[in-house]
Amino acid sequence: MTKWKMNLSRRMAMGLMGATMLTGSLAAPAFAQDDFPSETITFVCAFPAGSGADVLVRYLAEAVSETSGATVIVENKAGAAGNIAAEFTARADPDGYTVYVHAGSSTAMNYHLWNNPPIDPRTDLRGVAAINRQPFYILVPADSPHQTIEDLNAFLLEAGEDATYSTTATSGRVLGAAYVQALGVNPVEVQYATGPDALVDLMSGAVDFGVADPVFAMVHAEDGTMRVLATGAGERMGIAPDIPTLVESGLDVAQIGWWAAWVPAETPDDVVMKLNEMFQAALEDEETTAFLNSMGGDVWVASPEEVDAMMVESVDEAEELVEIADLPKN
Amino acid sequence: MMSDFFANLSLGFSVALSAAGLGWCFIGVALGTFVGVLPGIGALAAIALLLPLTFGLEPTYALIMLAGIYYGSNYGGGIASILLNLPGTPTSAVTCIDGYPMARNGRAGVALFTTATASFFGSAIGMIIMAIFSPMLAAAALRFSAPEYFSLMVLGLVAAAMLGSGSPFRALAMIFFGLILGLVGRDLTSGLLRFTYGVDELYEGLPLVAIALGIFGLPEIIRNAGHLQRSRIRSKDITFASMIPTRDEVKRAVPAAIRGTGLGAFFGALPGTGGLLASFMSYALEKKVSKHPERFGKGAIEGVAGPEAANNSAVQTAFIPTLTLGIPGDVIMAIMMGAMIIHGIQPGAQVLTSHPDLFWGLTASFLVGNLMLLILNIPLIGMWVRILSIPYSVLYPFIIAFICIGVYSVNGSVVDLGVLLFFGLLGCVMQYLKFEPAPLVLGLILGPMLEQNLRRGLQLYRGDYTEFLTRPISATFLLISLFIIVWSFWGAMKTRRMRRQMRAAEEQAAE
Repeated sequence: MTKWKMNLSRRMAMGLMGATMLTGSLAAPAFAQDDFPSETITFVCAFPAGSGADVLVRYLAEAVSETSGATVIVENKAGAAGNIAAEFTARADPDGYTVYVHAGSSTAMNYHLWNNPPIDPRTDLRGVAAINRQPFYILVPADSPHQTIEDLNAFLLEAGEDATYSTTATSGRVLGAAYVQALGVNPVEVQYATGPDALVDLMSGAVDFGVADPVFAMVHAEDGTMRVLATGAGERMGIAPDIPTLVESGLDVAQIGWWAAWVPAETPDDVVMKLNEMFQAALEDEETTAFLNSMGGDVWVASPEEVDAMMVESVDEAEELVEIADLPKN
Repeated sequence: MMSDFFANLSLGFSVALSAAGLGWCFIGVALGTFVGVLPGIGALAAIALLLPLTFGLEPTYALIMLAGIYYGSNYGGGIASILLNLPGTPTSAVTCIDGYPMARNGRAGVALFTTATASFFGSAIGMIIMAIFSPMLAAAALRFSAPEYFSLMVLGLVAAAMLGSGSPFRALAMIFFGLILGLVGRDLTSGLLRFTYGVDELYEGLPLVAIALGIFGLPEIIRNAGHLQRSRIRSKDITFASMIPTRDEVKRAVPAAIRGTGLGAFFGALPGTGGLLASFMSYALEKKVSKHPERFGKGAIEGVAGPEAANNSAVQTAFIPTLTLGIPGDVIMAIMMGAMIIHGIQPGAQVLTSHPDLFWGLTASFLVGNLMLLILNIPLIGMWVRILSIPYSVLYPFIIAFICIGVYSVNGSVVDLGVLLFFGLLGCVMQYLKFEPAPLVLGLILGPMLEQNLRRGLQLYRGDYTEFLTRPISATFLLISLFIIVWSFWGAMKTRRMRRQMRAAEEQAAE
């Protein structure tokens, strides 16, 4: 049994903690910051309990709590693709007890998807530590005639508008759009809410290829139903060194999702550094690495400054990507 | 094939009969009976309330418990219907019609015994049907693409509107209202927000749990609170000896239960209809086949046995489309589906292959749970009867508080509480105007799926609508929908003509 398959009573306790988290955070008295963390730390998750993102955040909460001895709970503030959780964190007390754990790439994208973005992630949030880097993948069903990404490229160039592809999530739409634009083709995009939704149409050949999230891609590559042809990342991933990049076939496409943790912008340096140490200690754990790899990505350890720099870069990149994918602003 | 079936079942029973399986199953059915007995709080409220508490559980046990609440509440619902003439759950409303008169005739014990045994029979057969047909349907589901899903949802909505217990026009109006409400939130295809009016919390659409609890739970409590009648049932009146039916009663009840089970199994598996319709249909059927239809409404045991068997068998078969196609048949199934998604399991054809322990464990737990319910409901009936003596002035404020906590705990959003309040008030108005809430919620659940699959089908087939009509499975669903529409209009016309003839005959007689 790995740590992930925790024993029943432990998992129950976590569940009960989740249910009572609101009362818990209210009951904790306020202490001075010199011995941070002396109170319960809350990880804010931007997706509902049980979603893929929630699984990751809860795992990290468990891992950080185990290595540091601090009490860490998860609070789900779902909605508006993470805007609600990001805004909640940005407006929380800058004492280090409210930590936003989310994909920085989506947070950057959100800044360009709203006409009035509730926060500017570059100035309203302060990076604490990075977590991982996980790209989306281009895949075909196992019985597809396309063996390599070159096969698929050739097919798409020939088929033109007769080809179709499935996408899930904003990251999938953006990667798909960038890929077909770089190739200079215009196949029909079919959107699905989740990977499993698209599974039947991928398997039956109703769509010619799919742009899939890392978890879906890894799970189905492993069970033999799908063949992963390329990664959306600019470099080959440590967990899947055999999967080529799109750059290798001469396409200028390099997109990577990255997860990190943030606190409100005004949080003092010593608290941020302490949190960074707590995250680094958790990421050094072998089981954490194995878990993050199973989510389809590589562990990424970074300083608070590197996270902030990555956010600035991502916000710039996102503006261009939103344009390429022709995503509407709300 | 056959050996597979038994291997699967034995896998299922190994899960259901494990200590944890038995424990969570028992908690589920006991809670289910409890909320079923209490008027005003149904399985829906209980499941929505307990959902957050299951986050830490293994998904299989979480579902075993939540499902136990669902079918357990059907047993409990019969108790309040028979003893107080207050249906604890909507599906047991039919049981009131003959169950309460039976109690007034001094046959309360027999009525309760009939409810429990007919429910058990219906459930057991329903479970067997589920075990046999789910793998077949799941295999067929691998050929389901967007047009098939779209047409199946059309069928579900048509069935809900046309075959419901109330007026088809009111039901149709409610379905369209539900479909419109389903538009709120982010449009998957374009990514644009629709009808959110700047409220970011509505990004994912209107909160289903808040609406369901608001529209089903609050009005029921408010209505029941309006006439506070204290029960005069004493638990010692219901003795074990009083529960034994006469030979004549057995002879009338058994065929009714068998017919009810068949009806229930069919309508339960059809998305959009569920147990309520099945129990009404069964009651109508029993009245039609009876040699003494005049006894109905005055304590006919067939009127208890048939509908109870029907609604329990429907509850079991309702899991078939939910687990194999990912299409919830009713609101409770939608919440159960939500529970699966929360536990990281995408409902659909893959569940059987990717989580066989969950599917077969759940199926086997139905049999185990129903056996527990049989024990809870026959020897221990006195305990449940005593619950009915809790004063409502104590009970109802608690239930409302729990509903609010339950709604808030799903997303931690105050907006959801506003939605709860709004739909609670709307539910009261709808109840007053005799609009049923079920079609509205069904429209809300199926609406976004209907739209997505229609648009996805058009994307996949380059805007070709004929694809929906020429693909055989899709065409079959659409044909059945058409048949239901024609059949119910023909039926409505026939009754109107009959009524006119009768009126003419009466007028003639008067002259």
